[in-house]
Amino acid sequence: MHRKIRTAAVLGSGVMGGGIAAILASAGVKTLLLDIVPFDLTEDQKKDPKARNRIVQAGFDTVVKSRPALLMQPKDANLIRVGNFEDDFDKLADVDWIVEVVVENLKIKRDVFARIDKVRTPGTIVSSNTSGIPLKAMSEGLSEDFRKHFLGTHFFNPVRYMHLLEIIPGPDTLPEILRFMADFGEKRLGKGIVWAKDTPNFVGNRIGVQGMVKAMQLMVEEGLTIPEADALFGPVMGRPKTAMFKTADLVGLDTLGHVAKNTYELVTDDEERDSFVLPEFVEQMIEKKLLGKKSKAGFYKTDLTPEWKKVRKVIDPATLEYIEYGKADFPCLAAAKAAKTLPEKMQAIVYGDDKGARFAWKATASQLIYSANRIPEISDTIVEIDNAMKWGYNFEMGPFETWDAIGVEKAVAKMKADGMKVPEKVEAMLAAGNQTFYKTEGGRRYFYDFASGTYKPVPVSETQIDLPALKGAGKTIKTCNSASLIDLGDDVLCLEFHTKMNAINGEIVDFMGETIDYVEANAAGLVIGNQAGGMPGAFSAGGDLAFMAGLAKAGKFDEIDAFLKKGQDGMQKTRYASFPVVAAPYGLTLGGGCEVCIGAADRIVAHAELYMGLVEIGVGLLPGGGGCLNLWKKMTANIPENVTDVDLAKFFVPCFMNIAMAKVSTSAAEARTNGYLGPNDRIVFNRDLLIGEAKREVLRMVEDGYAPPVRRPIRVLGEAAQGMIQAELFNMQGAGYVSEYDVFLAKRIAYVISGGDARTNAMIDEQTILNLERQAFCDFWKQEKTQARVEHMLKTGKPLRN
Amino acid sequence: MRDAYIVTAVRTPGCRRGKGAFKDTRPEDLLSFILDAAVQRTPGLDKGQVDDVMIGCSFPEAEQGLNVGRIAVQIAGFPDQVSGATVNRFCSSGLEAIAQSAMRIMCGWSDITIGGGLESMTYVPMGGNLARPHPEYTREHPDLYISMGMTAENVANRYNISREDQDQFAYESQMKASKAKAEKLYTEIVPTPATRFVLQADGTYKKETFLQDFDDGIRESTTLEGLAKLRPVFALNGTVTAGNSSQTTDGAAVSVIMSEKAVKELGLKPVAKLKFYTTVGCRADEMGVGPRYAIPKLLKLAGLTIDDIGLWEINEAFASQALYCIRELGLDKYMDRINIHGGAIALGHPLGCTGAKLCATLLTNMRAKGVKYGVESMCIGGGMGAAALFELCD
Repeated sequence: MHRKIRTAAVLGSGVMGGGIAAILASAGVKTLLLDIVPFDLTEDQKKDPKARNRIVQAGFDTVVKSRPALLMQPKDANLIRVGNFEDDFDKLADVDWIVEVVVENLKIKRDVFARIDKVRTPGTIVSSNTSGIPLKAMSEGLSEDFRKHFLGTHFFNPVRYMHLLEIIPGPDTLPEILRFMADFGEKRLGKGIVWAKDTPNFVGNRIGVQGMVKAMQLMVEEGLTIPEADALFGPVMGRPKTAMFKTADLVGLDTLGHVAKNTYELVTDDEERDSFVLPEFVEQMIEKKLLGKKSKAGFYKTDLTPEWKKVRKVIDPATLEYIEYGKADFPCLAAAKAAKTLPEKMQAIVYGDDKGARFAWKATASQLIYSANRIPEISDTIVEIDNAMKWGYNFEMGPFETWDAIGVEKAVAKMKADGMKVPEKVEAMLAAGNQTFYKTEGGRRYFYDFASGTYKPVPVSETQIDLPALKGAGKTIKTCNSASLIDLGDDVLCLEFHTKMNAINGEIVDFMGETIDYVEANAAGLVIGNQAGGMPGAFSAGGDLAFMAGLAKAGKFDEIDAFLKKGQDGMQKTRYASFPVVAAPYGLTLGGGCEVCIGAADRIVAHAELYMGLVEIGVGLLPGGGGCLNLWKKMTANIPENVTDVDLAKFFVPCFMNIAMAKVSTSAAEARTNGYLGPNDRIVFNRDLLIGEAKREVLRMVEDGYAPPVRRPIRVLGEAAQGMIQAELFNMQGAGYVSEYDVFLAKRIAYVISGGDARTNAMIDEQTILNLERQAFCDFWKQEKTQARVEHMLKTGKPLRN
Repeated sequence: MRDAYIVTAVRTPGCRRGKGAFKDTRPEDLLSFILDAAVQRTPGLDKGQVDDVMIGCSFPEAEQGLNVGRIAVQIAGFPDQVSGATVNRFCSSGLEAIAQSAMRIMCGWSDITIGGGLESMTYVPMGGNLARPHPEYTREHPDLYISMGMTAENVANRYNISREDQDQFAYESQMKASKAKAEKLYTEIVPTPATRFVLQADGTYKKETFLQDFDDGIRESTTLEGLAKLRPVFALNGTVTAGNSSQTTDGAAVSVIMSEKAVKELGLKPVAKLKFYTTVGCRADEMGVGPRYAIPKLLKLAGLTIDDIGLWEINEAFASQALYCIRELGLDKYMDRINIHGGAIALGHPLGCTGAKLCATLLTNMRAKGVKYGVESMCIGGGMGAAALFELCD
């Protein structure tokens, strides 16, 4: 038997249940979403199926309406069926996986599991998404087959966007079931798996909540303000912009309080049990229903003045009044902002010598010590804790990575000096001459294992490729400031960009040309991809605007043209090279980054979170690196040749709209809908596996006997496009939807995509469109309004409408 | 010149585009049915006696292309010798067809003709399937192809027709139509077979037929508050909404027209004479003002004044343009004579059918009220107006 998950059932349609149903549906799993029948039905309503499904329908509607979207594309909702616990419970016999996400109450959960035990088909996997209730207590007394197939699968909110999935073995779970679910979670749902133990609040929330509540306590003790604490625990410490208190507002103070209390009650032996006691002012806030985003007021609140101006305010813990606030200002913050790398920034903060730094040090040290003390209680290795914090809380570094970053020895010395109790296993590690928790050797990453006192390889999926580790192991073939060529093994190379936001500059364009020559001579195929961090991160945010703006200012339009020509030639050379090229985009893939994918690569292996688009019009430009040509080709490539009198206008309009409205997809699925991904392009849910999957794709293409595409003339809509677009733009301008300059740009864009003044349905050479692109691009740069748009974007990061 | 007598004027119900009762009914079926029904309702008339059929259609392509004016005649079972044509003047196409058919009677070339109109906006969208504005002309004059919604905004802006007035006008149209529907006053409607595709248990669709006997766009529950909440659909900060614009609709309508000789031979009692028909051009980007020029031109031809006209059917393409024309012509003192059973805002505007549909409605109301003169008028995309004068027979 080969186990498969074809269908799943999610029991409970709240925020988490809905989120889990959405990710399942987005991954193509038919999902049954169930919830209880409302208690307050009248006799008539009790017979009405709609009334009986009222609760689950509301949950489903929330899934569909949520923004940012929980579903990868609206039509994924079709894979979700709704029902209730009374009329549809028997349907659980037909599903492959049942996930329980009902209210966090042991008795209710036990009742649900007892009912499941009666109807489920033997062998069906059952899991609980509980965030704190012991699995042992939930499954006690149930059938052996149930207990063998029962585990914890703990997702984080919002499920689509949070990478973490904690897997918790029950007392009797079969090892193959655990392995299967970890594999399913990793590959199909794209999650990062953390192996947790059946302890209160598992890994992420145990460490995360201790850190958060402890920091709140210290803030009160040290007399800092909330914005000061947030400034210290924001990006300078590798934490998300929402830092501590804004994150709490997002999560909801009641939820935070619930988890903290639950933990406090269960961890009676914990040396830091008091770290789970919320400061008095937070308790008062919860009582006053100041719960954060959901009640529109939490630690922070945005007020509107009578003039509709937004004023951001923060609560004063002493008075519970909302007051205005300024920027936090500590010497350590200034030093951190001046520092280049994250470890340097962290050091500037924790080893600083001011009030803010003292607070940050105490809070950080507490979390480091607490984390070390939790092994092996909550997980066997430091890797699990670090991953949980990175994937569930969006930290750039987990506690042990942070410890490495600020220097283990130095931190331990300071802890001792401050009278903190340093865990013996950390002292033992240092005593044995091991200075760091992690090290990289021969392209592999190793972690320090407390249990054996040795370094062990960080376990990763066999598909996973770690570019920094490969570079560390000397696998770099060529490199420059902006890009590198890395050997992925098996004769497959990777072209990695590493500029800011991976913007494409002159150096990358040159490097790409050299790369193609090198691969032609020495390798089987090429992956274009990178692993820059961040949420959602950027495969490439576009062309280097500042570089071109400099040329434009100096009136060097010929140089812009030459730069573009080189870029176009490089793309074409790559496209028609004799070896397969696979692009592996993720996150922001805009402008030039998008052009590389649709223009240079034979295939795209995209991460599911793909924000792809040709957005040049926002800065008064058009795709000039082959984007107009290649989007048109991509959208029309699959019309069979014997469909001879196809109305190209039907293809032209959406292609033009993509570019003229700077449409950016909200997922890879939507990028496919928009025409950026074709039928041969693949979507991968797990970003960690993206480069590995792209490499596999290259190898498959080589194995299949790769033949490069043949360059032939392409069919264009010609002058008919101009009439259509000019007439429609007139309406849009009259309606006030577009500016006069937008119309000027859009008309020219239509002219380029349609192949210029060609007869409708004419066949023209690709180079003709590329030339039209370049001419338009240079002409646009000569316009004052384009230069103004670019300048505004470079200054503010926002588009200017002029 | 001879007189042209309209003996029978009938229509199908008007049903909402894409959602209404005719969304699965082919336009040829609507038209051939109403042609057959018109003959049935004209006692003693044999299909073979009809000399020619002219059908107005605004987008005569695809399902309503291939000269639907001839195709539907054949489908309706007229013998081979009965010819047919399709004519297009956008929104006055139906009236144009009736006028041209009447002219053949008037000049003695025919004794019995049929004029009418058809539009399935479900099957062929407004603008057609393959719009191709001229690439060079649009560089200087894209206004020739301006969207109808923008022309309505232009009329509202240039002539100060307020959102409140537009909504009030729309509300009244809905209320008049609701009342007429409840009182079963649309006697010009012939219950029409409609098609629907019904999903079967095995996944196939079965084509079923049902009878549709009412206009399904009427919104009895419309309120002024509800109308005020709608967002402008054509322009940022505009005033034209889905609520104060005409509905897009499917429908067909025809009139049987005869000479005095034919009327006498068949022993029929005609309803009205078509006395005059006229058209006039105006600026394309404010095409809605058309009736404001067509109506005075018509009245001058007839030697009448607005006070002589007992009933008006002025097409409600948009409340803004209808109100503008009514005000400019001084017709606001006769609001109780205009669109007495509601207009296109409630009943729909099936483009090429509208001229024939309004004719059937106007004649029904003229007879019911004993009104001597009735005028039908409409604005026309591209910048035109049309108007026709009917005189009730004794």
